[in-house]
Amino acid sequence: MITGPHHPRTADYLALVFSYFAVGVTVSVAMIEREVSATTTLVAALVVYSATSELAFLAVKDADGSTMIGVLSGWLVASRFGLLAVSLGARYAGPVMERAGAAINSFDPNVGLAIQQSDPQELRRVFWRVTLALMIGWWIGSIVGVVLGDVIGDGRAWGLDAVFPATLVAIIGALVRRRDGLTAALAGAGICCALIPIAPGGLPILASALGAVFALFVVAQTGSGDRSAASAAKPQPSGSEEEPA
Amino acid sequence: MSWIAIVVLAVGVAGQRLIGMFWAGPHLARQPILARLADLLPAAVIAGVIVQLTFMSESRLTIDGRLVGLIVACLMVWRRAPLALVVVAAAAATALARLIA
Repeated sequence: MITGPHHPRTADYLALVFSYFAVGVTVSVAMIEREVSATTTLVAALVVYSATSELAFLAVKDADGSTMIGVLSGWLVASRFGLLAVSLGARYAGPVMERAGAAINSFDPNVGLAIQQSDPQELRRVFWRVTLALMIGWWIGSIVGVVLGDVIGDGRAWGLDAVFPATLVAIIGALVRRRDGLTAALAGAGICCALIPIAPGGLPILASALGAVFALFVVAQTGSGDRSAASAAKPQPSGSEEEPA
Repeated sequence: MSWIAIVVLAVGVAGQRLIGMFWAGPHLARQPILARLADLLPAAVIAGVIVQLTFMSESRLTIDGRLVGLIVACLMVWRRAPLALVVVAAAAATALARLIA
């Protein structure tokens, strides 16, 4: 996990730079492989600024889908950022322009780590530090992918496509140490898994937000969202206790 | 990727984010139970992203080397390994799984 939900360290930020570098390389190589021009690839990296949206768009085009369906799929995938901005907007205090900037830059890692901060100032600090790390990695990766795409070849051979999921697992590592967070994550994963074969691209991720509603319902029924608090009421074998997140 | 696609995606996603930050988020924050819901959203949504990135291939559920990387990542996060180690180990495990398969 990130070395402490309240104080990500320099090494964690560097790891995030590397992670987004890998993501940037992967997306750029995928674009170049499909004979998208270097200029368009870099403009998409700057303007769309969402790896999963770009990959969703390319997946539709690979299946001979129309540009319209591709855009819709990419939009659906990126709509999760709106949900993440909801989560951030509920906690983020600051000047209007700063909040607008934070909204535009809402991604999985920076929101996921920022909302783990209880202090509002620390929340802002962590959000922007993570955002900077993501931008540095994404930009260097996008450019390297465009310039050295032919040399790098298929990033999957290097396991680069496993980097982003692994990073996200670490991001929510502290959240799922709580019972309500674990319930939300498992329910969200289950919903997404069930919908992938039958729903249009992007919709499964959006629907996974219902996992949070499910977790809220479960917590309301059981009366506690904190697994460590629940454990405290029940004796555990030595060494099995989880530390609170 | 066409220029129209790029512009539509960019404007659409930015609009949703701004609505979330300035309207939906503050509304949820006014009610404690909805504020809790807002806190739980990232865990649910990010778990969905993890599933899609790991198991989806051309709109189908697929099991391949990515699953090995995910399992390694989960185990290392559970053991509280640093993020850098988690990322490198997951990539290495996935690459190794593909090499062997």
